[in-house]
Amino acid sequence: MKIVNDLNLKKQAEELGISVWQTPGFLFLILGAVAITVMSATFYLSQNYDSPEILVLSESAVSIVILIVGNSVIGIFEQMAKVNKLKSEFVSVASHQLRTPLSAIRWETELLLSKLKKGLSDKQVKNIESISLLSARMTRLVNDLLDVTRIDQKRLLLKKEPVNISILAEEAIAEATSLAKSRNVEIAFTPKKNLPKVIGDREKIKMVIENLVGNSIKYTTNRGKIEIKVCKKDNYIFFSIKDNGVGIPEEQQNRVFDKFFRSDNCVKYQTDGTGLGLYIAKSIVDQSGGEMWFNSVENLGSIFNFKLPVK
Amino acid sequence: MEKKRILIVEDETSLHESLGEFLSAEGFEVLNAYDGEVGLSMAREKMPDLVLLDIILPKKDGYEVLAEIRKSEKTKNMPVILLTNLESAEDVQKAFEKGATTYLVKSDYKMEDVVRKIKETLKK
Repeated sequence: MKIVNDLNLKKQAEELGISVWQTPGFLFLILGAVAITVMSATFYLSQNYDSPEILVLSESAVSIVILIVGNSVIGIFEQMAKVNKLKSEFVSVASHQLRTPLSAIRWETELLLSKLKKGLSDKQVKNIESISLLSARMTRLVNDLLDVTRIDQKRLLLKKEPVNISILAEEAIAEATSLAKSRNVEIAFTPKKNLPKVIGDREKIKMVIENLVGNSIKYTTNRGKIEIKVCKKDNYIFFSIKDNGVGIPEEQQNRVFDKFFRSDNCVKYQTDGTGLGLYIAKSIVDQSGGEMWFNSVENLGSIFNFKLPVK
Repeated sequence: MEKKRILIVEDETSLHESLGEFLSAEGFEVLNAYDGEVGLSMAREKMPDLVLLDIILPKKDGYEVLAEIRKSEKTKNMPVILLTNLESAEDVQKAFEKGATTYLVKSDYKMEDVVRKIKETLKK
């Protein structure tokens, strides 16, 4: 099936936004054709001629064809790399430009809700509050896009500082309390005293935990129960979060950490995700010398884990 | 008690307005500059108690303004909080090398938090 897909040149060209003769499938066919021609020509020539000149000539002709095909492959790769870089730069500039008006919106609404609240009706206050929430959500999206760009360009810089995972978990849970309450989800966590610290970027690791906690809450439908655990084993601190939420369909589990991935069932329950959170979280954990993995059963729930090395 | 004076160096008018109003309501006196050059000369002439400084600014960027503030004997101890939307680790590091007192990313902070940071800085 994959071979048939690989040979559907028109579809490939459309998907990649290039012409048919530039598609990997077409170049693959050309290389195959060259190899077959070379073999049959060598066989034919060695059977019918003993003149070395003809062999040399035909070898040279073949070399030229391979050179041309190779050159075109390199050209296409170069072009793709350039487009990719341009795309990343575009996202980066666009995100920076988006942040200024976004901060202005957030600050204006904050001003209205704090210093200029007098005279506003309850309805108006509610409306302004939703503007404020929406702009905060937009800011998060922009921040995520910037992080993804940095990860793709291998420019995500992480600080190296001692970090207590238990305390970070407590903080992340405290911040998620109102969301959990609104969704009728209970979070169980017993902080571990004297848990050794890991070395990493405090803010970014907190982001990882916030993302996992947020996901568990968002994708747990009703009377949810979330269990968070931290412990030290070997030379690592382990973090795990277990929920009885919607889970991830088995056939989509291999794409969970892909950029922009959102499972079919999660889109049904929660429409506002971007599919960037777990990609960023895994990149941060990997880059910090750790690992992230999960187990999930659709309709029963998921357990997400990560481990980070103790200093 | 005399009002503390805050100089806002920022090219975005709407940010001046919201932040200025918020700070005034918090009991500060607010001075406004819309580009780096004016910002620097106001820092020298008006001697504010604290400067809120953007990085991407017309005429002189925030790093240059900061470096000049630190160079002059008169202003070298003036608290300068960089308030910007650049947030890469490189920018943060550069800012502290040039002598920033604190570094805040606008889109990540509420004005309430900015004010809290200002008060903390002024106490030191």
